[in-house]
Amino acid sequence: MKLTALIIEDEKNICDFISTTLSAQDYKTVTAYSGTEGLSLFTSIQPDIVLLDLGLPDLDGIQLIKKVREWSSTPIIVISARTQEKDKVLALDTGADDYIVKPFGSRELFARMRTALRHSNRLNTTSALYNRPYHAGDLTIDFERHLVTLRGKEIHLTQVEFKIVALLARNSGKVMTYDAIMSEIWGPYTDTNNRILRVNMANIRRKMEENPGEPVYIMTEIGIGYRMLEDDTSC
Amino acid sequence: MQKKMKIHIKYTLLTLLLMTAGTAISFLLFSYQSFNTGNIALIYILMLILIVWFTEGYFYWIFAATIAVICINYLFTYPFRELNFTLSGYPVSFLFMFTILSISSAAVKSIKRQGQILKEREVALAAAEKEKMRANLLRAISHDLRTPLTSIIGASYSYLENEDSLDADSRRDLVSHINEDSNWLLHMVENLLSVTRIGSEGTSITTSSEPVEEVLSEAVSRVRKRLPDLKINVRVPENFLMVPMDAILIEQVIINLVENAAIHGGGSRPIECHIEDSDNCVIFRVRDYGNGIPEAKLETIFDGTSYSSDQSDGHRGMGIGLSICKTIITAHKGTIEAINHTDGAEFYFTLPKEEEHST
Repeated sequence: MKLTALIIEDEKNICDFISTTLSAQDYKTVTAYSGTEGLSLFTSIQPDIVLLDLGLPDLDGIQLIKKVREWSSTPIIVISARTQEKDKVLALDTGADDYIVKPFGSRELFARMRTALRHSNRLNTTSALYNRPYHAGDLTIDFERHLVTLRGKEIHLTQVEFKIVALLARNSGKVMTYDAIMSEIWGPYTDTNNRILRVNMANIRRKMEENPGEPVYIMTEIGIGYRMLEDDTSC
Repeated sequence: MQKKMKIHIKYTLLTLLLMTAGTAISFLLFSYQSFNTGNIALIYILMLILIVWFTEGYFYWIFAATIAVICINYLFTYPFRELNFTLSGYPVSFLFMFTILSISSAAVKSIKRQGQILKEREVALAAAEKEKMRANLLRAISHDLRTPLTSIIGASYSYLENEDSLDADSRRDLVSHINEDSNWLLHMVENLLSVTRIGSEGTSITTSSEPVEEVLSEAVSRVRKRLPDLKINVRVPENFLMVPMDAILIEQVIINLVENAAIHGGGSRPIECHIEDSDNCVIFRVRDYGNGIPEAKLETIFDGTSYSSDQSDGHRGMGIGLSICKTIITAHKGTIEAINHTDGAEFYFTLPKEEEHST
């Protein structure tokens, strides 16, 4: 079955480029050049995934995400410019699944879309799949046994460190904002300073990464959050 | 309008205050010992000159002088508590007083005007300097933008024109050139965009504490995306370090320096990229094992002036990238330097650490 992607983007050239590359990858594409058009198309065609440009002329992208999230969990990937970190974080915290920075290559776009689709499917499946161990490169994480191994050797993480790694691994391939991680690990009312998270991450990297200066498993998205290398077994 | 009112009120109050003070001083001195009326006139003249100095316009000192004359006559000259302008010599001394005051007022005015002119001239000079820098930068940018654009337009044009006659290899060549040049353009534009994050004064940036290792590794991974063959050794300090910065801007600086080393360094050994912890700052170093920087350029390498002279050698845009680095680091109150080693060049910059009291 062909998956349907709704592209909401006011630049016609970019719309065409995305639509062409997606069609070549066997997606069915529908394009909307404005927010209102996109919203009405969303209700009528019920797409499998939405690509949304944040800088729409008529409707704020954030508003659109809010409206869609009122009744649908369809994955939304936000397309944004590099300098708008605040907007990106807001979009992610409002309910967008991931973001991609303009300009992007088609490979990057597919990777993001695949991840987003996989995570949205996972929500509908049994928890057995959700609890299956994470594998990527030389790293394995067994959620049930609280065990992290690198090349078969066990890595000793503290309770909090393991919680962070497990959270990122369960959402592997997807960016997690600092706020999302903070409220998941330390509860929703922790203070806004994320220094404690950054310190924990530095310790995790020193234990898990060969060279903390060039991390392989947990990447930083400056000003946004962290992204864990996608699970091998899922692609 | 409101502002003018305020100034007038301020001057009036000042005038009244100084006059009251003058009268009070005179009165004190006059009652303690039989003080010469001439000296009292001097006290008033002093107050009047102060008024001339601190206020603007003729109104205040003329007003004050009139009060002074009346006060002296009424309070301090015989017959006391009576106005009498007919005493001999009086009109002459009042005339002298007015003359002294008008001369000093004119002098004060001209001093003030000269100061203002000097200030204005300085501002104009600074503006001209800024304008010149901007014009230079614009010229350099347009040159650097035009080169890849020409190539993109040329390549895409010849592809569209000769699509059928070209073989697969040359078609691929054309498109990959377009791709390369547009990536270069993007790089330029990102650099320019980052400058717009710095306020027009060149000092106003919003900083937040960021772990230095994350910024460094993110920057290196971005360079890797553009230059997949990049050979680089990244080292971060053992201890966890957070420094206040605009992470996007610092990332841009590291990207520029690493790309610079990779493209212009010309060394075969991997680039060294590491962070050093110092007492009150953190030092980022990017070192290559290549040809080094020509001595003649070392002095002006961050000025953004070197690009006009080296247009011929194809090192396009290097000047702008480095001058942008300098702008960014200066805005962070850090320093950036370039030095030559015997076997390559090194760029390093410092960022001041957060102070104890900040969160």
